[in-house]
Amino acid sequence: MSHRQQFYLVVFFAFTVNLMAQTDAVKNENAQRGKAKFQQSCAMCHGSEALGGMGPNLIQSSLTRHDENGDLIAPVIQQGRIEKGMPAFPLMTSADISDIVVFLHARIDAASLSSSNGLAGGYSLKQLLTGDASRGKRYFDGSGRCIRCHSASGDLAAIAKKYSPADLEARFLYPPDDNITATVSLPSGQKFQGKLLHLDAFYVAIRNDEDGWYRSWPLQKVKVEVKDPLAGHLELLGQYSDKDIHDLFAYLETLK
Amino acid sequence: MTCLHIWKRLNSVVKIGTLVLVSTVSIFAQNSSSTKSVSPKDYPWTTFNGDYSGRRYSPLTQINRANAKSLKLAWAFQTHSVPLKSTPLEVDGILYFTVPNQVWAVDAKTGQQIWEFRRTSEGDDIGQRGVAFYKDRIYFGTPDAHFFCLDARNGKKIWELTIADVKFGYYISVAPLAIRGLIVLGTSGDSTNVPHFVEALDWETGKIVWRTSTVPKPGTPEARTWPNDAAMSHGGGPSWLTGTYDPELNLIYLGTGNPHPVLAGNVRPGNNLYTCSILALHADTGAIAWYFQASPHDTHDWDAVETPVLFDAAWKGKPRKLLAQASRNGYFFVLDRITGKNLLTVPYVPVNWAKGIGSNGSPIPNPAKSPQPDGALIGQSEDGGTDWMAPSFSPETGLFYVNAWHGYSIWYLNSDVADPSAEHQGGGSVALVAKSVLLALDYRTGEIRWQKQSGNGLSSASILTTASHLLFTADGFGNLLALDSSNGNVLWHTRPGGILNDAAPMTYQLDGTQYIVTGVDGVMYAWSLTGSL
Repeated sequence: MSHRQQFYLVVFFAFTVNLMAQTDAVKNENAQRGKAKFQQSCAMCHGSEALGGMGPNLIQSSLTRHDENGDLIAPVIQQGRIEKGMPAFPLMTSADISDIVVFLHARIDAASLSSSNGLAGGYSLKQLLTGDASRGKRYFDGSGRCIRCHSASGDLAAIAKKYSPADLEARFLYPPDDNITATVSLPSGQKFQGKLLHLDAFYVAIRNDEDGWYRSWPLQKVKVEVKDPLAGHLELLGQYSDKDIHDLFAYLETLK
Repeated sequence: MTCLHIWKRLNSVVKIGTLVLVSTVSIFAQNSSSTKSVSPKDYPWTTFNGDYSGRRYSPLTQINRANAKSLKLAWAFQTHSVPLKSTPLEVDGILYFTVPNQVWAVDAKTGQQIWEFRRTSEGDDIGQRGVAFYKDRIYFGTPDAHFFCLDARNGKKIWELTIADVKFGYYISVAPLAIRGLIVLGTSGDSTNVPHFVEALDWETGKIVWRTSTVPKPGTPEARTWPNDAAMSHGGGPSWLTGTYDPELNLIYLGTGNPHPVLAGNVRPGNNLYTCSILALHADTGAIAWYFQASPHDTHDWDAVETPVLFDAAWKGKPRKLLAQASRNGYFFVLDRITGKNLLTVPYVPVNWAKGIGSNGSPIPNPAKSPQPDGALIGQSEDGGTDWMAPSFSPETGLFYVNAWHGYSIWYLNSDVADPSAEHQGGGSVALVAKSVLLALDYRTGEIRWQKQSGNGLSSASILTTASHLLFTADGFGNLLALDSSNGNVLWHTRPGGILNDAAPMTYQLDGTQYIVTGVDGVMYAWSLTGSL
């Protein structure tokens, strides 16, 4: 997915997130209740996560996947499948069955993430914190040369409070900041400086620091000097061992 | 660059050109199986890749290095739809192209709509790569894994089949391939741990002629590349792109997708055949003639589905039937396509996930660079070295062109879940930084002869080359480009607006005029030297 597509997705989510949050909260509550009831009545045969045991895996079940709001699952719970050893639960309330149905569909959704992008659930500080903070500090001050631009007591003070562990790791590796600047020199000697908005083989565009206006020039008529404040991060990506990363992360986590 | 360097580079290109043998076998021939008579001035584009070879190389020469700067808009067709990801077919003056659940037939000279087929369905609608044409019929697959046969004259449905169960995440994104009365397709899917397959249907009735699973049969030696049959039965290996075909050998070449779970390789120790592989299938039976695994035991979601490009060329001084793939895992492979023997394995982008190359030519994954609970840094973009965008091979230059990605990403294994084998991903990855670059590789060595930066982020345009030393593609800066295929110099560019990802340039000649067609967002643009009729 391109950065531009990611941007559109962010905008889309911003609009829809409020609407979805409400429905999700209700669903989650139902799923939680459903999980408890499933574990009480069904887990003995189907496993606590519905992945199967003596009875079949319900996440990979065609019946579960084709079910809509309990239309297929409810009759099986109520009437059982005696010939296959599944008992009937005629006294289970429709509310309980409905919660179990929501739980099973939530399990399918959770297991069916179509993209690996991002750290979806299950990632804790404990998993990430395997490094040596003191070695990380030495790397920060020494061979990493992080102190060229950063200070633990200055811009990075309490940085570990500001970001979740996973975000902190991604940000120190390569911050998602777009702050490349350019200086454009005209044949007249006039210079413009500002945030770089476009630079290809044909034209350059910046937002001029002095007056805030967008300006662009055909490339063959100007000289362009680009300054990328993230160049140091890119350089380190080519040098890190995984241990360096884990140590550096452990050190940055101490900055609270 | 000095003049001497340029001269040396050009000289080496010329030398390659003299070594390449331009074959005349029917692998490169156009065969639309159309019943209409065709003018000798016309030259069509009858399959997803233009012909069976996958080279995306056209012998047309009307647009050339001298006049490419005069390209003008001939017409534009507004679909009012999601971005186009299909390559149009051009048969007898009509273009056929798609988005999920929609097909258009459009006058190739004017952009006038002739018919539209439209339906709605559930299922994954991330992509639809196009149709197949055979005996005046159109074939295409849908997000709910249905398969349609339409009358090419009017878009009316002739038959419809259910290929697989959408509730298990199956859908069809590939453009089918029509081969001697068979319509070959494969299943896509990336949400559930399910096995995938390739099948051939009878063109007339839709009856299954053969079906080949992309995981081995239980009990075979290849099945031992999985810990057990249960893991193998959830194996993966989906299809994402149309294969290629050698009529002389009667072999179909297909790349397969990644194994399942995607990142949690720890629950499926072994090489996990036939995932992330290039398969050669007998066209009449679907039997696997040979396989070559591009990524044994993949743990980065890097399918080996990129086009297996076929060409006949000199290899160490002798003519040979070759197959080349710039694989998503960052390696450029050249194989003998008769036997599957590996001739070359060399990275075309920086690679740090493998610890070496095995004696069979497959890279050997470094376990330390598989996803880890505390993260493993990969010196490649999260999406690999390239992806679905079509490469091109030009017999004039002997160069293999690919839009490639450089970058870094970090990969995590989710060790907190009760049963990782039940999760589809089993981990997560974070894209750190990526840049795009167009590469021209010497097919004999994989060496980069020239390269051209395409911008920050993931630019994913396909490539077309023509016999007049032209290369058409797009970059990540918003430009459609015509380049000199021998050195990458820009001959023409324009900014059509919109997202240029997936723009799959193709070309055809009609009534003596050569057209270049590119999809941009939801608009199909046609370019020619004369402009509008």
